Amino acid sequence: MSSSHDTHASHAAAPTHEKKHLALTLHVWRQRAATSEGKFVTYKLDDVSPDMSFLEMLDVLNERLIANGEEPIAFDHDCREGICGACSLTINGQPHGFERETTTCQIHMRRFEDGQTIYIEPFRANAFPVVKDLVVDRGAFDRIIAAGGFITARAGSAPDANALPIAGDVAESAMDAAACIGCGACVASCKNASAMLFVSAKVSHLALLPQGQAERSRRVLAMVEQMDKEGFGNCTNESECEAACPKGISVANIARLNREYLRALACGD
Amino acid sequence: MVRRIASLWSSSIGKKALMSVTGLLLIGFLVLHLVGNLQLFADDGGKSFDAYAAKLKSFGPLLYVAEFGLGALFLAHLALGLRVTFENRAARAQRYALERDRGARSFASATMVVTGVIVLIFLVIHLLDFRLREMAPDGLAAMVVRRLSEPAGALIYVVGVAALGVHLSHAFRSAFQTLGLSGKGWDTPLARLGKAIAIVLGVGFAMFPLVFFSGAKKASHQASLEPARPIHAASDVTTEAIR
Repeated sequence: MSSSHDTHASHAAAPTHEKKHLALTLHVWRQRAATSEGKFVTYKLDDVSPDMSFLEMLDVLNERLIANGEEPIAFDHDCREGICGACSLTINGQPHGFERETTTCQIHMRRFEDGQTIYIEPFRANAFPVVKDLVVDRGAFDRIIAAGGFITARAGSAPDANALPIAGDVAESAMDAAACIGCGACVASCKNASAMLFVSAKVSHLALLPQGQAERSRRVLAMVEQMDKEGFGNCTNESECEAACPKGISVANIARLNREYLRALACGD
Repeated sequence: MVRRIASLWSSSIGKKALMSVTGLLLIGFLVLHLVGNLQLFADDGGKSFDAYAAKLKSFGPLLYVAEFGLGALFLAHLALGLRVTFENRAARAQRYALERDRGARSFASATMVVTGVIVLIFLVIHLLDFRLREMAPDGLAAMVVRRLSEPAGALIYVVGVAALGVHLSHAFRSAFQTLGLSGKGWDTPLARLGKAIAIVLGVGFAMFPLVFFSGAKKASHQASLEPARPIHAASDVTTEAIR
């Protein structure tokens, strides 16, 4: 208790540590509703703390807008810990901004420069229609999951741990695929607005594990069919999705999805 | 079952799988084509190349079947490629005002449709040059050398095969990924093999216009000093054999 107090005191006693606040010019996409025309609106902020997160910077801007009687900027957010997949935004042309394996909520203003201009756009894809300002409807992902992203399991008490042995490397690969938070950055970064990385992560996660075997063929056929219905583009293997993914999901999963799909077409039930 | 076969043509993965298979088969044809063409470099006034052409002609209806198959592969690959391209453009009706990639794309991967269309135009010219034209009396080899010795001919062939090389440098690895035949440990060897195939085919085919064009320049330089030599009687004999 006393040590934490000491730390606090030493911080207060060292004002030279305080970093310079930033002046920023923001061009933010404003759109009243799904059907209305959108446009960029320019906002100037001249006192942005480098310790703020990107979303906190938008919160500050919104407080100012509300105080001025203007409509605040709508944007998606939830956990603000980089694990829920709710935040989105295209920052200076890159979904979730320029940092690798980082969600928008985990970017901090210290990574920007004083006087910088920042363009903030929603994720753009026909399958992700804009709802308002920077908020897009990612319900297409939910419908893909509903089409096949589940297993049949006995409901009731939890099974015994390790009752079902799974090889270490298989468990690792499944876990890597399961790291997908469904944020949609793969779609937003793909020049074809393809959802293959998302679908491949979900299919891989379940196809690798014994619990996923019962629906293995039906799942991949149904999920790909739903993906196509939603109007996503086709994969051209450029791997921009992998580079943009905040969870580092590998395109090796896309190869596995292709394999699973062709296998299901050839010899599925 | 019928529905499953139909989804090869209609689903996004099915379309790409068909593109991959047709593309890989076309690469196989290109390898055979390059090996056959190497006979143009034989120092026998085009005799062995003309004999090879005559041998192919002698297959008669079988040759037409093979040509029809090749044409079908090419047209299927082309139709699917254009369809995928249009669908992909349409999937993002509202473009980004500012778009910045993360360096995963390559020049080749970003220009597949452009290099593909250049190859298509080149192929039409190529067929008009050597397949759909009446055989010259002095034989196919002489026709090829004449065409590739012209500045315009040499340029068209170099540009055409360069576009092909760029196209293949992304295509080969991409086809294996689409067919699900990549992953752990295979990605790097496949990518390297793809680059190697692109270089061998691109540079290999480019040798012909480069060699014949530079040779023609030399020959015309010599021709201005010496009187032109008459056409070899031997090539007339081969022409007869082809007919």
